[in-house]
Amino acid sequence: MKSYASIAAVVALLACVPLLTASNVALNFMVVALLIALVGQGWNVLGGYGGQYSFGHAAFFGTGAYVTAILQVHYGLNAWLGLVIGIAAGALIGAITGALSFRSGLRGSYFALVTLAFAEVLRIVASVAPITGAGVGTLIKLDLRWETFQFQSRAPFYWIILAFVAASLVLVKLMEGSRFGAYLVAVRENEDAAKAVGIDVLRVKLAAMTLSAAITAAGGCFYAQYFLFLDAGIAYGPWISVEALLAPIIGGIGTVYGPLLGALVVKTLGEVTKLATGDAPGLDLVIYGCVLILVVAFAPQGIAGLLRRRA
Amino acid sequence: MSLQSLNRRRFLQSTALGAAATFAAPAVLRAQGQPVKVGILQPVSGAMSYSGQQGRIGATLALEEINASGIKSLGGAKIEPVFGDAQSTPEGGNAEVEKMNSAGCAAVVGGYVSSICLAASQTAARYDLPYIVDVGVADSIVTRGLKNTFRLGPGFGVLAKTAIDNLITLNDAAGKIAKTVMIIHEDSAFGSGLAKLLNTQLPEKGFQVIETIPHPTPTRDFNNVVTKIRASNPDIVIPADYYNEYVLLARTMQQQKVRPKAIYSVLGGAASSYKFVKEFPEAAQYIMDCNHWFDPKNPKALELKKKVEAKGEFFTYEVYMNYSAVLLLADALERAASADRAKIIAALESSTFSGHVMPYGPTKFVNGQNQGAAPVNTQVLGNDIQVIFPAQFASAKPVYPMPKA
Repeated sequence: MKSYASIAAVVALLACVPLLTASNVALNFMVVALLIALVGQGWNVLGGYGGQYSFGHAAFFGTGAYVTAILQVHYGLNAWLGLVIGIAAGALIGAITGALSFRSGLRGSYFALVTLAFAEVLRIVASVAPITGAGVGTLIKLDLRWETFQFQSRAPFYWIILAFVAASLVLVKLMEGSRFGAYLVAVRENEDAAKAVGIDVLRVKLAAMTLSAAITAAGGCFYAQYFLFLDAGIAYGPWISVEALLAPIIGGIGTVYGPLLGALVVKTLGEVTKLATGDAPGLDLVIYGCVLILVVAFAPQGIAGLLRRRA
Repeated sequence: MSLQSLNRRRFLQSTALGAAATFAAPAVLRAQGQPVKVGILQPVSGAMSYSGQQGRIGATLALEEINASGIKSLGGAKIEPVFGDAQSTPEGGNAEVEKMNSAGCAAVVGGYVSSICLAASQTAARYDLPYIVDVGVADSIVTRGLKNTFRLGPGFGVLAKTAIDNLITLNDAAGKIAKTVMIIHEDSAFGSGLAKLLNTQLPEKGFQVIETIPHPTPTRDFNNVVTKIRASNPDIVIPADYYNEYVLLARTMQQQKVRPKAIYSVLGGAASSYKFVKEFPEAAQYIMDCNHWFDPKNPKALELKKKVEAKGEFFTYEVYMNYSAVLLLADALERAASADRAKIIAALESSTFSGHVMPYGPTKFVNGQNQGAAPVNTQVLGNDIQVIFPAQFASAKPVYPMPKA
């Protein structure tokens, strides 16, 4: 119960941010950081707890984003309903890619490569298919009403993404304490041993991938509503796959708070280096990269691991 | 528990960041004579960094000129630039516009890439912040009904139409020697949008599009694409790419000795770039392009060209388009006699600005699009780039078909 209280406390504190600052710059920054935390949490379920490292979470992110956008633009569907269907579609893609790769017994780097390939295939398809607007992209019409999941102020967006993050924290915490979570960790630690004690490895991995994809797809849906513009490179591009794994790895892989911690640190670092380097374009990215290397070199368990060691 | 304390610390940091940003934001209303802040948004890092930096040069030169005397109707107020780096992504552009808005900018100029322009102008629209697109050619930029967004330059529709009309004029004059076409384009909003238009319009005009090949930006190898071109042997190759890919494609074609009757590009990232012509004169030779270009008969344009070249920089379209866009804004500020956003938007809507260096007709904005905007056709001849169409701006006669090497 104590750990749920800590989630509640963290979320409650974060929820106060818009009350303390009216600055849209700060809110925009926090929204993007929380979005990455959510997408990272999706990755963490599969990669952190299940030990299945995916390089292609863009496939789920992009599917969530495109489904929400296309349903609204081409079929006039309500944005909130689009969100639900988008998440479901992302989960479906997760289940399909999971079934295809796990059934073929792909593990480790082979699994990573296959997920990368799936995301790339979807990116290329999206860049030529008419339904996604091909390379021109899909533009959701600016229409600031709550019914359309668009708000004048950044604050409602912030609270919504925070709610998503909160839900993902609770979900992962629940999973950690459940039988399914224990199976998943067993699969991560030793797949053959897990099989030997009677765990249905394939089913566990598939369930983890579907859940993971659904969480990441929720991030994609949110992205579409927040930026209102998608093209193949944004939705299925490698940038989001990298962000998805960077946040939990920096924060602490296979921990409840890892992705949130990692996303906040990584994004703050990006912003601080940008401020510090001022008008020298690109220098911030160089420093950012160097700091990331240092973190990975000296804190292989992520920030959460560093704290645990100190405590 | 350590996790909790860390989150409190993190929380405090983020609120401190927010508070700092709030304090930094000055009031939007200002007294006469006080500088007017204007956001100059360019992708100066990432895949588009060269174009972004060129755009920044153009904007800076325009600001120097304006600030020599200031905005007269505002008591000689100077324009203070707030530079932003969109990092070649729409999110980056969005974040920068947020910063510019809270820094109290009266308007934003730039974007360069269509996708950044789309995202950034939409964010600006939330705050009724005037947004002047420097280059971004996607038609959807000005057809979304955003009141705040203006584009001095031409969009796809006009560009593709002019390009096709000129191609037909050219081909007819040479005795209709070309019938087949191959399109090579980058796969984001700009290249794909163009390819789509060309694919519907070229067949109507009697050309056969053999194949359309999309590729991402960046692409670092065109050997396969050029092999395909060799196999299909089209009369005309139409590339629509950003600078680096364009150069690479042209050089690969040169290396593999693939020489169609014409390389006729529409908005070819490098086709009408002095940088390309200087660095790879053989690969660039005879390439034709329908693109943004300065008015070669405008003395102001030639003076600007000299100034840019004196700095050791190339006089690319990003330079003079940003230069013109910033001047357009200064003119609107002058007539609005205010840094009030609504008044600037009203002044832009009624603009008849003619102080730019582009070969355009009279400026008139309809839904944010300048109706006078038009591209020209250029061809690389010798070590220079000449204007071949339209006749009133032409400085040379076209060489078509390309002589065999």
